[in-house]
Amino acid sequence: MHLPIEAYRKKVRKRTRILAFLLTVWVIGIFFRLVDLQVFLHAGFKTQVAKQNQDRTKILPDRGTIYDRNGKILARSIPVPSLFYSPPAEESFELQMKTIRRLEETLGLSAKDVEKIKARLQKKSSFAWLKRKVDAATAERIIALGLNGVFSREEPKRFYPQAKLAAHVLGGVDIDDQGQSGIELAYDAVLRGKEGEVLILRDVKRREYYSEVLVEPQSGKDITLTIDENIQYIAQRELEKAVLENRADWATAIVSRPDSGEILAMASCPGFDPNAYPPSSEEEVNRATRYNYEPGSTFKIVTASAALENHAVSLNDIFDCSEGLIAVAGSPIRDHKRFGLLTFPEAVVYSSNVGMIQVGQRLDPDAFYRTIRNFGFGRRTGLDLPAEEAGRLMPPEKWSRRSLPALSIGYEISATAIQILQAINVIANRGLLIGPKIVSAVEGSTVSGPKKAEPPRRVISEKTANTLIKILEQVIIEGTGQAARINGYTAAGKTGTTQKIDPQLKRYSSFKHIASFVGFVPVERPAISVIVVLDDPQKADHYGGQVAAPVFREISSQVLRYLRVSPQKDLMKAALMANPGREGDR
Amino acid sequence: MVHKKYTKKEIAVGVLASLGTIVILTFYLWHITENIRLGYEIGRSENSLQTLREEVKKLEAEKAALLSLDRIEKIAKERLGLAEPKEDQVIYEDF
Repeated sequence: MHLPIEAYRKKVRKRTRILAFLLTVWVIGIFFRLVDLQVFLHAGFKTQVAKQNQDRTKILPDRGTIYDRNGKILARSIPVPSLFYSPPAEESFELQMKTIRRLEETLGLSAKDVEKIKARLQKKSSFAWLKRKVDAATAERIIALGLNGVFSREEPKRFYPQAKLAAHVLGGVDIDDQGQSGIELAYDAVLRGKEGEVLILRDVKRREYYSEVLVEPQSGKDITLTIDENIQYIAQRELEKAVLENRADWATAIVSRPDSGEILAMASCPGFDPNAYPPSSEEEVNRATRYNYEPGSTFKIVTASAALENHAVSLNDIFDCSEGLIAVAGSPIRDHKRFGLLTFPEAVVYSSNVGMIQVGQRLDPDAFYRTIRNFGFGRRTGLDLPAEEAGRLMPPEKWSRRSLPALSIGYEISATAIQILQAINVIANRGLLIGPKIVSAVEGSTVSGPKKAEPPRRVISEKTANTLIKILEQVIIEGTGQAARINGYTAAGKTGTTQKIDPQLKRYSSFKHIASFVGFVPVERPAISVIVVLDDPQKADHYGGQVAAPVFREISSQVLRYLRVSPQKDLMKAALMANPGREGDR
Repeated sequence: MVHKKYTKKEIAVGVLASLGTIVILTFYLWHITENIRLGYEIGRSENSLQTLREEVKKLEAEKAALLSLDRIEKIAKERLGLAEPKEDQVIYEDF
């Protein structure tokens, strides 16, 4: 039986309305869900997606290269593989740790390293370093194992091709290539550059299918030092030889160009290999700039300068040194022998303590102090190396009765080797102080370049300097520094032997010394100045003239030959005539 | 139902237009894929340039290590039997 047409239409309309209503509800539902997903839950889902298929990774910049003055590479960063673990999400923690344990032996992971990785995995971290900066062969071997989640990525590693050469000047970097000492630290901001960022898109299997550099990394700037690798090598080799021969605790030597203040070599012994940074704290100390010591007789250069400059002495003045000692504030200060009567130049040439104390006693304390300060003592030289020591110099108002005599012979003042070298450079430069410098150029930059050198400053008159040069020349010809004589060249210098304070007895020891020699060569137009300091030489000979002066001679003669500074014809012939046996000595 | 009958000319224009569209679309697709292919190639070349640059840097550092002075001295003395010149063995040009 059929419904009447009107009833049928009514039924259809009703059904249509119900269907329309349901569809509307459904559409409204979808609409609200869409709003919920696209508006309210948008950020959360976006993060989730990004986490799943995007990686934002830092791009480490290339650290600048350090060159010597001739463009030889002293330090450079090169890419090496680093191994890391990106735990597969489908693997259990136990399975992940099993992978790590498999690598433990091959990679030489310590228990501490494994604990670190374990802690990261427990925190559900998606990244953990296995071993950073390994050699290419090890990385290849590990990757070839095909372990799930083990990957390799390249990172820059600092490489010092000359190993120990100039290690104290260069310093070193940590695992993140951040400067820790030496030039690496002093110029870290310049060398380091700026990190970049790369966006990597990965597929469901974490394979990289797209990458885009978001922030371009900026490479660090290259630095050129004033150091000459050949001169550095000579200085370092001779210094190491001297330390062994004399059984010294440590030693330092610096070679500079007096007219520019450029440091050509700066060596300290014991040394270290910056490729295996960090060394022990004992090895890391740059003794040339970071060790203060009482300079002893090398400081008599300053006393003599002050006396001449202030007209406290004349060259013909005689000093009575016949007793071999002089009483200072109730206690005696001795010479190593009785000299008799000495003129002022002789007191310097033979390094008489008694004579130089009498010279010092003629000086006004304020004038003496001013001269010492003008020579740059008691403040840093401003060399571009970190942690330079300023030395210790008390103002006259704090001096005791003993201070002036003690200062006259280089005690009650502490200085670094670089400060003593700066002082001899004043003499070599005929009275002008030109500060030392070790960085000659920073790539393409004048803003972050080496520190601006102070203009030359006059410390003593040219006349005083010339007089002193003649006296210091005699030190090498007939005085305490004869072992520093270099055949064919005129040289000027001063020996120093300092008694060290015995920390247990708290007084000057008769057995512990610092032997030193400082000088320049040739006298007429100084090409180089050199200082050599040896701590506590254990051989019977412990005087600066016996221990340090020969090292000065060895370094200087080789450096002069390398720099092609010709000897003076007459001096050379005289030397060869006086020593004909050496001709056949091959 | 009545169908409009196209003239031969209209059919030819239609075919040509279709062919033209196909050609343009094909060219466009070729252009796009070629762009992508070249993009990949540029990417590969840039990577290879970077790798070569790094290789040069590495080799320069390696060369510096091989020419390190203590190594040279060791070879000169131990393998070649050379020694430091004595004072009288050095002749200066301006003498």
